[in-house]
Amino acid sequence: MMRRRFLALLAVFSGGLLTRRSIPTGRQRELSLHEADFYKPHDLAG
Amino acid sequence: MRDVTCELCPRYCTIPEGGAGDCRVRVNIDGKLVATTYGRPSSVHIDPVEKKPLYHFHPGSEVFSIATAGCNLHCRNCQNWQLSQRGGEEMERIYRAEPKDVVDVALAENCHSIAYTYSDPIIFYEYVYDTSVLAHDHGLKNIFVTAGYINEKPMRRLCRVIDGTNIDLKAFDDGFYRRNCSGSLKPVLDAMVIAREEGVWLEVTNLVIPTLNDDMATVRRMAHWIRENLGEETPLHFSRFTPHYQMRNLPPTPVESLHRVWNEARDAGLKYVYVGNIYGHKSESTYCPNDNTRLIHRVGFSVEEYNLTRDGRCPVCRQSVSGVW
Repeated sequence: MMRRRFLALLAVFSGGLLTRRSIPTGRQRELSLHEADFYKPHDLAG
Repeated sequence: MRDVTCELCPRYCTIPEGGAGDCRVRVNIDGKLVATTYGRPSSVHIDPVEKKPLYHFHPGSEVFSIATAGCNLHCRNCQNWQLSQRGGEEMERIYRAEPKDVVDVALAENCHSIAYTYSDPIIFYEYVYDTSVLAHDHGLKNIFVTAGYINEKPMRRLCRVIDGTNIDLKAFDDGFYRRNCSGSLKPVLDAMVIAREEGVWLEVTNLVIPTLNDDMATVRRMAHWIRENLGEETPLHFSRFTPHYQMRNLPPTPVESLHRVWNEARDAGLKYVYVGNIYGHKSESTYCPNDNTRLIHRVGFSVEEYNLTRDGRCPVCRQSVSGVW
């Protein structure tokens, strides 16, 4: 039981870290233009 | 092995087979120069035209805005570095959007224009050009938001299909371009003159960065150059810097600095000078240069009040105001 909790906790933490680490490569998704949320707020300049 | 030279921008990258240019996205495949992000935008949004910023170009209209990865400048303060300083293969998300798809969706969403923006659209030039031609065929306008680091020939060709442009003049100082952007000033000035000569509506943005480009002598020279070479009716937007990317060591631009540069540009004779990135500032609005009537009241990117006549004049004194209304 304790071990399962520990693993769950580990998964949560490592998930967060992995997300940050894996931004640049390897997770590319090609989407149809219709899948874009055109009105989603964003902080891009221009 | 056949090298190719990209003649699009002043870098003139000579690219070996299998390699990419400085922008990361224009590559040599089997001895041919290929724009790898053609039809593959990574950012797609609908923005008000005021966000580009264009204040004298169909105010209040909505703009279908697209960008692909990559850039031919590498500014240490880039706000969009997650997009601009990466190659297409590094993006987490890429949309499949041929020019026809972009135009179809822009029309379906009732947009007035398509903007090529966010990164520098120079590096997806062919995509911009083809989409712009198709957009014109369907009654849409085209907006090019750029840092203007492009060669004369492709710039003149592009001007045939572009209706409005905002060119980011990062500083009136070649040293600034070399130290902070890995570029140079002259091609940017040339691009602005070309846009004006070719009849494209032009507005200029200058991001005011504390200690780096905010000294009054430089600002004065810039304002005089704009008046002499682009005309006193060219809108100039001073934008507030906030720390980003590799320039987090500097504070946001003090509001007083923006007031000073605004005054300097007005004293130099520019008629339409704006302050951006300060929500609710009175210099977001357009005033008549003759009698100071408030013509367009803006709050942030929103047009709250529009008082220009249909032919673009002050309703009180009939002064004509330059723009595309």
